[in-house]
Amino acid sequence: MWWLATFTENPPVAVLPYKTPHRRRIITERRNIMKKTYRLLFIAVMALICLAAAAPALAQSKMVVAQDTPPRMMNPHGDDSDAGLSYMANFFDGLLQRKGAQGELLPGLAVKWDHPDLLTWRFFLRKGVTFHNGNAFNAADVKFTFERLVDPEVSEFTNTGKQIESVEIIDDYTVAIKTKMPIPWFANNMHQVFIMDKESTESRDPGDVMVKPIGTGAYMLNEWVKGSYIRMKANPDYWEGAPPVDTVEVRPITESSTRFAALVSGQVDIVTGVPVELYDKIVNNPKLTVVSRPARRSIFLGIGNKPGTPTADIRVRKAMYMAINEDEIIEKIMRGHAAPAAQVPDPPTIGYNPDIERLPYNPAAARELLAEAGYADGFDITLTGPNDRYVQDAKIAEAVARYLAKVGIRVELDVKPKSVFFPEVTKGILDFYLIGWFDGTFDMGRTYFKLAHTRDEEKGMGVFNGAAFSDPDIDRLLESTADIVDPAQREKTLQALNKMAMVDKIVWIPLHYQEDLYAIQKGKGIQFQPRPDRWMVYKEISR
Amino acid sequence: MGTYILRRLIQGVVVILVASMFCFVIFQYMGDPALNMVGQYASFEEIREVREMLGLDQPIYVQYLKFIWNALHGNFGKSYVTRVPALGLILERFPATFELVTVAVLLAFFTGVSLGVLVSLKPYAMRNRFIMALSLGGVSIPTFLIGIVLIMIFAAYLGLLPAFGRGDTIQVGFWRTGFLTISGLRHLILPAVTLAMYQLAVLLRLTRAGMREVLTEEYIKTAWAKGLPPRKVIFKHALRNVMIPVVTMTGLQFGELIAFSIVTETIFQWPGMGNLLLTSIYEGDQPVIVTYIMLAALIIITANIVVDILYAVINPRIRYD
Repeated sequence: MWWLATFTENPPVAVLPYKTPHRRRIITERRNIMKKTYRLLFIAVMALICLAAAAPALAQSKMVVAQDTPPRMMNPHGDDSDAGLSYMANFFDGLLQRKGAQGELLPGLAVKWDHPDLLTWRFFLRKGVTFHNGNAFNAADVKFTFERLVDPEVSEFTNTGKQIESVEIIDDYTVAIKTKMPIPWFANNMHQVFIMDKESTESRDPGDVMVKPIGTGAYMLNEWVKGSYIRMKANPDYWEGAPPVDTVEVRPITESSTRFAALVSGQVDIVTGVPVELYDKIVNNPKLTVVSRPARRSIFLGIGNKPGTPTADIRVRKAMYMAINEDEIIEKIMRGHAAPAAQVPDPPTIGYNPDIERLPYNPAAARELLAEAGYADGFDITLTGPNDRYVQDAKIAEAVARYLAKVGIRVELDVKPKSVFFPEVTKGILDFYLIGWFDGTFDMGRTYFKLAHTRDEEKGMGVFNGAAFSDPDIDRLLESTADIVDPAQREKTLQALNKMAMVDKIVWIPLHYQEDLYAIQKGKGIQFQPRPDRWMVYKEISR
Repeated sequence: MGTYILRRLIQGVVVILVASMFCFVIFQYMGDPALNMVGQYASFEEIREVREMLGLDQPIYVQYLKFIWNALHGNFGKSYVTRVPALGLILERFPATFELVTVAVLLAFFTGVSLGVLVSLKPYAMRNRFIMALSLGGVSIPTFLIGIVLIMIFAAYLGLLPAFGRGDTIQVGFWRTGFLTISGLRHLILPAVTLAMYQLAVLLRLTRAGMREVLTEEYIKTAWAKGLPPRKVIFKHALRNVMIPVVTMTGLQFGELIAFSIVTETIFQWPGMGNLLLTSIYEGDQPVIVTYIMLAALIIITANIVVDILYAVINPRIRYD
């Protein structure tokens, strides 16, 4: 360590080594430096080559997926967004499940269910199912699960939980759930409530429940490194049979260009949430394929009808509807990846009315209507919307503002992050806003109670009625559907309600249905059918 | 010196308190966390209950004092999004950020200083002018652009290096490290280079400027006249006097990068603290945000104090009292 002493200003002479004559030292030093630098360079280049060549090979029974949203926690009730439920559907099962292109409701952990009276739902449970830790699945686990839903500390399904009056264990494999008031779509929701193991959830530390899932699902969690990857391996004792792919590694990548790069470089097999701008690049790449399906989510504009405001007049609302060129929005902004919508629910939903048609784009007629209503000079209105929630949401709002400006309506644009936008919607203080929606129950009733019903704090209705739209006819017809359980009857009444809302009252201006885009590696034999709810359920994918 | 350090520490505490107070004021305008927690189908009643449970219905100063009181006991609240303790959530990601920043800073320091010395010796040679032009690019091109271009070249087109993530990591005690696996080291290359670019360019210019000034000094001329070998003159005599501002700069950058390497972490999906801060801001996760800001303030203040002390150690003419 003698050389350290040279850092001081005046090293003691005794510490310095024998000094060779200056000139010879210069020559040898120069030669040594050259040798050393070349050696270092050589080593560096070798190292780089070794590192580059040591590319890890993907195992054959494995699949790597890049999803656009990471899981928040491994507690199946803690996140009611589709992104979160998508992960949980692999580790857990609900009493029922949805499969297929139309999201058909099928038996899950319950083999049969019925509805003996308006308030009771009976589920007959599957026998011989075990949780990942070996515990047997029985009615006690179902009771525990539903009673857990009301606790806001661990559950975002408090709404579902609070609707339940009691859970009765009839015997080890039969459960009867009584609701506080008739809820016709109750069973339709059962694919989202995942059953947890009573014994292990109660005995474990709540922090452990948040990171280690113990369910009955097709996959078991192998490793979860937050922010990096989720590794799961197949459950050989799964009641539906072991899933086709042995190991699945999910890598959440939120940045879309990085997701694209991961796909192109071959690091991942499937990518979800392909942004519309990158569609052309992927289609032109011979190694990749795009898989698309029409999404269930419809994008629409909410308008208020407070007396005294311009939009209270239905002619004004009609004019605004006709002033927007939806086809151009789909073509230019959504790059063709959307389908025009005439209503809010999508085709598989009960209440979807195929007879409703979009009003045609007609700015001249719009201007006439405005003049008729007394607004020949137009009026001012603010359009609020999110800028980080839906596909191209901010751009759509801009386009709408521009179309309305052409018929004389001056729109002030107010786009903001979803965390600020949605609380404003729930406060009902907006005049005109952009929003998207789809209902997981495939039944329009619940959606309408939340979106169209007059705001009522006590009854908890109209929470998302952002412009406080209020119409007594709609309220009356909607409330009458609450008691109807027969699906055919529900369908008729809800369709009539839908028509009234879209054609007679123009509660919303519908825009389009989004499209879900995924990309997969060609030539790896991946069989992937996207689900309508955008969940990635790996037992349904094979390679 | 002792009183100086104590004074700086007290100033640091004041800064942390002011930063956290700021956060609380801003939270009033950031939206409603209760809404995010109850799910889309909740009723007004349920939203109100959750708001009470979280203590959000109380006036700001009450919330703030409660927060400080809990913080003094080590409880920084639970994340609204993942329902786990906020401090643990942040510290869990600390090793990832620390490793990335360390590698980036070392890379920037050694490359920047060496290139700076090289460039200062013959400032108007073609090669050196070229390097200076590149450094201008390093300073002005934004980090996300450098990152994306590197990913496109090395990961997408050449397929040499991985595009995202940390690779295989090994847990050593509580520290999850990427240094012990080939995969981990490979994943470190692109993000570290991206992060290092700006610092490298700055250090290069700083070193060059310092060296140019020092090389015209009298004692350097004496050293040349004495016939000392060039290496001794440049490194032992000239560079050491330039090192003071360079080391100061590096120390400050180290602190700042650890706290705010958000952009690079987002592009490379690096599971570090910066990434967590960004997602928390989007999701309105207030406990995590305020805890993070306080932690970031603490890190930067500590880095500043350490650098100032180091400055005094290196340069004995500096005295603190």
